[in-house]
Amino acid sequence: MPVLECKGLTKRFGRTTALDEVSLTIEPGRIVGLLGPNGSGKTTLIKLANGLLTPDGGYIAVCGSAPGRESHALVSYLPERTAIPTWMTARQLLDFYGDFYRDFRRDAAEEMLDHLGIQPAQAVKQMSKGTREKVQLIMVMSRAAKLYLLDEPIGGVDPATRDYILSTIIGNYNPEAAVVISTHLISDVEKVLDEVIFINQGQIMLQSTVDDIREEKGMSVDALFREVFKC
Amino acid sequence: MLRKLLKHEFRATGRVMLPMYLILLVTAVGSNLAGRGMLDGRSDVLNILGVIIVMAFGIAICGVLVMSFVLMIQRFYKNLLQDEGYLMFTLPVSVHQHIWSKLIVSVVWFAATVLAIIAASLVVAYQGGFLREFLDFLGWFFEGLQKLKISETLNGTVYLMEFAVLMFVSLAAFALQFYAALAAGHSRANHKMVWSVAWFFGFQFALQFLGSLLFITLDRLHIPFPLELDWNPSPAVAIHVGLLLAIGVVILYGAIFYAVTTFFLKKHLNLE
Amino acid sequence: MQWQFSNDAPIYTQLIQQVKVGIVTGAFPPGERLPSVRDMATEAGVNPNTMQRALAELERDGLVYSQRTAGRFVTEDNTMINTAKRSLAQRHVKTFLEAMLRLGFQKEEIIELIARELGEEESDHASA
Repeated sequence: MPVLECKGLTKRFGRTTALDEVSLTIEPGRIVGLLGPNGSGKTTLIKLANGLLTPDGGYIAVCGSAPGRESHALVSYLPERTAIPTWMTARQLLDFYGDFYRDFRRDAAEEMLDHLGIQPAQAVKQMSKGTREKVQLIMVMSRAAKLYLLDEPIGGVDPATRDYILSTIIGNYNPEAAVVISTHLISDVEKVLDEVIFINQGQIMLQSTVDDIREEKGMSVDALFREVFKC
Repeated sequence: MLRKLLKHEFRATGRVMLPMYLILLVTAVGSNLAGRGMLDGRSDVLNILGVIIVMAFGIAICGVLVMSFVLMIQRFYKNLLQDEGYLMFTLPVSVHQHIWSKLIVSVVWFAATVLAIIAASLVVAYQGGFLREFLDFLGWFFEGLQKLKISETLNGTVYLMEFAVLMFVSLAAFALQFYAALAAGHSRANHKMVWSVAWFFGFQFALQFLGSLLFITLDRLHIPFPLELDWNPSPAVAIHVGLLLAIGVVILYGAIFYAVTTFFLKKHLNLE
Repeated sequence: MQWQFSNDAPIYTQLIQQVKVGIVTGAFPPGERLPSVRDMATEAGVNPNTMQRALAELERDGLVYSQRTAGRFVTEDNTMINTAKRSLAQRHVKTFLEAMLRLGFQKEEIIELIARELGEEESDHASA
């Protein structure tokens, strides 16, 4: 059973169409890049999969059911903004995730926080932007979910943090779970991905494996992206 | 899951309310001291200081009341409809549980605030022999109660309870009107806050319209209830009926807004 | 192990090459157990499925073998390692020759250049 499936999915904001009849499937065990320029519909698609937006047409299913209470227990979502309450301390955040998600591995999260030198009593408010993003990612990756939806996990962080984030994603790989990473920084994530989906102006331009692209076109996904989206 | 939501909601709000109660207590103690020595006119500085402290107590009472009300709406808005909503609405928790956790916590804080203000007032009034006097008063009060007929005692207690229930139900219903307006306004793609305000006044207008419509039709129909049913309640019973009726109407009004809120949060969530 | 990737070839073929180099140079000694796929993927910063694919290919070639529970091991067969070494060398020579021919050198000139370069290196060593 695919972990994420959309058919004819459409979303409009006023007069602009953010997603236009999008159909795709994502199978378990894959790390998929959702690639597109700013405003192409990446975030809209991820928010629809999380039930934070309501579609105007078509259908979307996560592990076979429409986004809702059941799917939330199976999906681990990293929003593109800081959604964790900033007044909480790292320990309160661990309590929070542990209380609500049965698949939360608190020991794994504590180990990762410790590795970064984050004190349990430190409030999110007192952390730098990069640290906040890392803490949020640690919480998300410490769950044993079926689908990870990571919206711009490496945007706006320094290269060292970027490496840390990517190795955390690889290190937590689980053959029964799929990971979707939305980004426009392709050269950084290319090696980590199985598959890529190119999205532009709300439409899917291409879905292929990274090595197929390299084999057939003799160029990297990054180079292909630049060619497809040339201004 | 509701229990866990409540736990974290209390954690989030207690952080604001508990310090408020502390301020209330401190200014109450200050006012008590001011009442004893500072205001007897021996020193201008002490006089001014005393007045400031007593004013601070007054402001603290207003502050804690306003805060419990603001928190009621602000938690719903900030925790569910702003950035934190990304976290909250992706928890394996139902929309009903979200709304109930917000409502219950707000009402509990309101009750706590009322108790805190009573306690603080007692602190202010406390004098050397105050505790004695207060105990004497309680003694007199209960003695008086014993002299009353059982039915009168019972009626009085039940009135108080009914009135308290009416207060809290009204509060919850009023909060739900805000929730419904915010939820409806934020289902729009743009101008979410403008739409929320519009919805709020829309609801207000609809309520008044329906209310007056109801009155007019009742008036026109000359419904004989309850007089022609040969039902002549004593004044005591009539008050009960009136209070219970009022509670019922307020619950209905709250239930409508509850339904509106869940409808928009479930079917038309559109987080920015 | 240093992992480096170019942009023009599939990642799994590049992984095969690099693991081969690791085996030939002794970074992965004969008979030694290889780290888990996940650890190798994390170290190389690549997708675990891609690493798995590369290792499966190496297994088909016989350079590594897997034992059901214990994991993957480097072959102990030295002739096989030597063959791999020769084929890696041949690839390098081929690309070198292609580049030299493109620059317009004749075969004799190339040999002469190499001989001189090797001679210089030897004299460097001698003087050192």
